[in-house]
Amino acid sequence: MKNISEEVFKKIKEKNIKPRPNWYFVMKNYFIWMLFVISIILGSLAFSMILFMIKQLDWDIYRYLGESFLKTFFISLPYLWVLFLLLFVGVAYYNFLHTKRGYRFRFISIFLISLTLSALFGTGLYYNDFSENIENVFFEKIPYYSKMVYTCEKQWMQPRKGLLAGIIKEIELSKNSIKLMDLNDQHWQIDTSKTIWRGKLQPLNGLQIKLIGKMVDNTHFQALEVRPWQGKGKFINKE
Amino acid sequence: MIIIEKDCINKTDEQLVSLTLKEQEYYLCLIKRFENNLLNYIMKISSANLQDAEDILQEVFIKAYQNLNDFDFNYKFSNWIFRITHNVTISHYRKKNISSRAISWEENDMDNILQATLNIEQKNIQNLSYENILKIIERLPLKYKEVLILKFIEDKDYKAISDILHKPTGTIATLLNRAKKMLTRELNKEGIEL
Repeated sequence: MKNISEEVFKKIKEKNIKPRPNWYFVMKNYFIWMLFVISIILGSLAFSMILFMIKQLDWDIYRYLGESFLKTFFISLPYLWVLFLLLFVGVAYYNFLHTKRGYRFRFISIFLISLTLSALFGTGLYYNDFSENIENVFFEKIPYYSKMVYTCEKQWMQPRKGLLAGIIKEIELSKNSIKLMDLNDQHWQIDTSKTIWRGKLQPLNGLQIKLIGKMVDNTHFQALEVRPWQGKGKFINKE
Repeated sequence: MIIIEKDCINKTDEQLVSLTLKEQEYYLCLIKRFENNLLNYIMKISSANLQDAEDILQEVFIKAYQNLNDFDFNYKFSNWIFRITHNVTISHYRKKNISSRAISWEENDMDNILQATLNIEQKNIQNLSYENILKIIERLPLKYKEVLILKFIEDKDYKAISDILHKPTGTIATLLNRAKKMLTRELNKEGIEL
């Protein structure tokens, strides 16, 4: 059996091995915490986008489409952002686990802590209109982003299913009709003779509206209900 | 400066760490204090032969020395050095750097595990075939073998095992429970009645 203590000590002296400086470990620790914080911030951003996308959709229109609520729910979920949220919560979990005392917590505790923090800050970001601005930037700067998310615009631009959105271009009171330019800049003649105008809505030129009804042909639409366009973002900015 | 062993006798491990950071010679006391325990631990969890285990142990002490500033004085040094030993040994184990396997268990070690895990009397243990039991313990998955060794041979409590294996104490309790069950099952399978 070797004399390990002497051998190790000799090796330490011969190779002039020194303890790594304290600042190295302090920096390492800060770095791990910094990555954790960054993951939480990115998770918050993803959460605010989920909130934004969910809030801008109309969840009651499944009745008009003849679909179940569950089907509408699963079609409308912002999967891209849910995926990002899970990814960043996962990265936050990994970093937290590598902090000095991280191992003492169970997976579910760390996961819930990270998710809760992301949800709290994400809600804050949402109410400060941060998600709306981010969405606009993403729409403009990131190719194919609009194809990857299910937006309010997509939800309401389904004339064949009886949903249409656009801007009132002309009101023809005598004919009980309005001229509308939809979100794809296509012009429609809207029959409003049997229309219920929701809330205190009054037909006005330039008003942005959502319509539930029936497509008559490629340029004619029978409106049964008109709602104000409360969706934010791209559409409003377009005007 | 030459440190005489008696300088270290009345000092705690943590005091020796502080002194080592100022005066390298004190590290020799720490090495001497832990070498046998750690060598046994390495041989038991990895089944490495003496030569391989000694090589691993050297690496452990050098690594511990390099990372001495990372030691948190709120923890016990023994748990910290066991943690490093665990990591270095597992790393060798995974790289299959352990060339040959050796039996490093003493009868006393097995008695401890059997008594503690299976609640059987000393006199009944005497009748068991150590060779067979040893084979079964060696066959247990590493995660189970490790907790049994730390708990019943190294006599560590749950918190210490948690600090060494970097797992929550709840997980340690679960692992121990499963290890006991698996050991009982395997012993029964081999026809060893308890």
